[in-house]
Amino acid sequence: MMRNIDPHALQGQGAAVSRNPEIQGAPFVLPKERFLELRLQPTASKSVVLGVLGCLLFLGLWEIAHYATPESSRKFMPPVSDVVTALYTLFAERNFLHDVMISCYRVFASFAMASLVAVPLGIVMGCFGNLKALLNPILSGWRYLPAASFIPLLLVWFGPTDSAKIALLFIGVMFFLLTLVLDNTLAVPKEFVEASLTMGASRQEVVRNVVVPAAMPAIFDSMRNMIAVGWTYLVIAEIVGAQDGIGAVMMRAGRFLNVDVIMAAILTIGILGVATDLLFRAAQRFLFPWSIERR
Amino acid sequence: MQTIAATRPAESSVRQTNTVPLRVSNVSKTYLKGTFKSLDNVSFDLHANEITAFVGPSGCGKTTMLRIIAGLEYPSNGGVEAFGKPVRGPGPDRGMIFQAYTSFPWLSAVQNVEYGMRVLGVPKAERQERARDFLKLVHLERFADAYPKSMSGGMKQRVALARTLSQNPNILLMDEPFGALDAQVRWEMQELMIELIEREQKTVVAITHDIEEAIYLADRIIFFTRQPGQIKADISLDFKMGKRYRQKEDLIALPGYGELERRLFAMMREEIKRAD
Repeated sequence: MMRNIDPHALQGQGAAVSRNPEIQGAPFVLPKERFLELRLQPTASKSVVLGVLGCLLFLGLWEIAHYATPESSRKFMPPVSDVVTALYTLFAERNFLHDVMISCYRVFASFAMASLVAVPLGIVMGCFGNLKALLNPILSGWRYLPAASFIPLLLVWFGPTDSAKIALLFIGVMFFLLTLVLDNTLAVPKEFVEASLTMGASRQEVVRNVVVPAAMPAIFDSMRNMIAVGWTYLVIAEIVGAQDGIGAVMMRAGRFLNVDVIMAAILTIGILGVATDLLFRAAQRFLFPWSIERR
Repeated sequence: MQTIAATRPAESSVRQTNTVPLRVSNVSKTYLKGTFKSLDNVSFDLHANEITAFVGPSGCGKTTMLRIIAGLEYPSNGGVEAFGKPVRGPGPDRGMIFQAYTSFPWLSAVQNVEYGMRVLGVPKAERQERARDFLKLVHLERFADAYPKSMSGGMKQRVALARTLSQNPNILLMDEPFGALDAQVRWEMQELMIELIEREQKTVVAITHDIEEAIYLADRIIFFTRQPGQIKADISLDFKMGKRYRQKEDLIALPGYGELERRLFAMMREEIKRAD
């Protein structure tokens, strides 16, 4: 049947049809947007709505969990409202702000020290192969030692002081950060270095004005990720022999089975962690506007 | 007649010790403890203000040769002299343009150009002024304060070119500089190169896979064989009669163009087959 139709005749017919203003093709309809659209980037406002929705979903599940718990043990699974109340009481009546500030100080001080060591060291190890060969085997091994296992040692050395806690956080963060910074430095395109060398740059010039600026956005990313690890180590550091700090408050509450206080403290750490992350991202946008937008 | 012929080379070689922009003598390069020979006893001189194209199949060692000239790699044997001085490492007398984009993303176009001059110790006020001039030379004056992030590949390459030219190198080395660009931009860049080199009077070495590009840009083509890299042919593009043609169509119309292109394609085919 089809074979009998002259393709040219068909073509002509088609052209005639499309020229006829009365017979139009079906109007173009956008395909319906699906929720699970591959690689779809929602708009900024939609992202916020979805994010809030996600939080509400979590709180809803929490509330359900409370009511699903048998009556007898319900106090171990307090509802959201109890935790919020506990959080308010902590701040209003028990000077929780002091503990929060102490914890912030420990995280930031230890992180600053870890960065001061890991960033320059990682950069020079990434620049000079001999230094990397000399130091990497001994330094990278430390990452596999659980930071918590240093607690007894640090207690012997420093006693139950701030230094012991900061040292623990330092150990937990520094060696990971070092490896990340080393990788970030090695990832600097070799053509940048070679271009600079062919322009007559000295080694110092290449390291300071090519490798460092080229690697900095990625290093900053690594730092942002590692300060999150610092927050997760905080409680471990404050469990042993601590009088103050968020972790100490949690341990004390645990002794009296005050689950709402424990949860309030966990929530506080989470909020502080997210705030730190946002701070870092803002700083990143401010410091490296030239760098390719990530995520 | 014979006496002239006999005395001439001697005369010129005395003069050449200081004026040959680049002399490559018996350069060999082996890798993997000598089991892989990338270059085998390569010798040639570059002539002042001439554009030389290195042509050859992939893996013929032409990039290695260029990197040895740049001082980024060292020969296993033999040596390279730039204006009579042995090459011991990279230096601003031999500017290099890479195939990968090397305009620094953390610097604006004008700061990128300034970088080259800053390394050479040009005072700030002077280099700021000259950087703008060099951007104008590559037709980027309107984008002086733009960052590479917002530039096309061709623009990034032009920034790198301006940065290198601002250092006023004796020799310009180019490693497939337009290899990553699309056909139309590549064509624009080739025309820009002719324009720049006519104005700046540079000795240039450009690596290319592209036979048409080689004929268009070069005054001389050095054709490398594959594994080990040796000079298969050293061709002077006499059919251009000492002129450079901005417009490709004018060049193609010249007698001798087709014959040269045919010959180069045949050589390329021969090399690719030989290595199989």
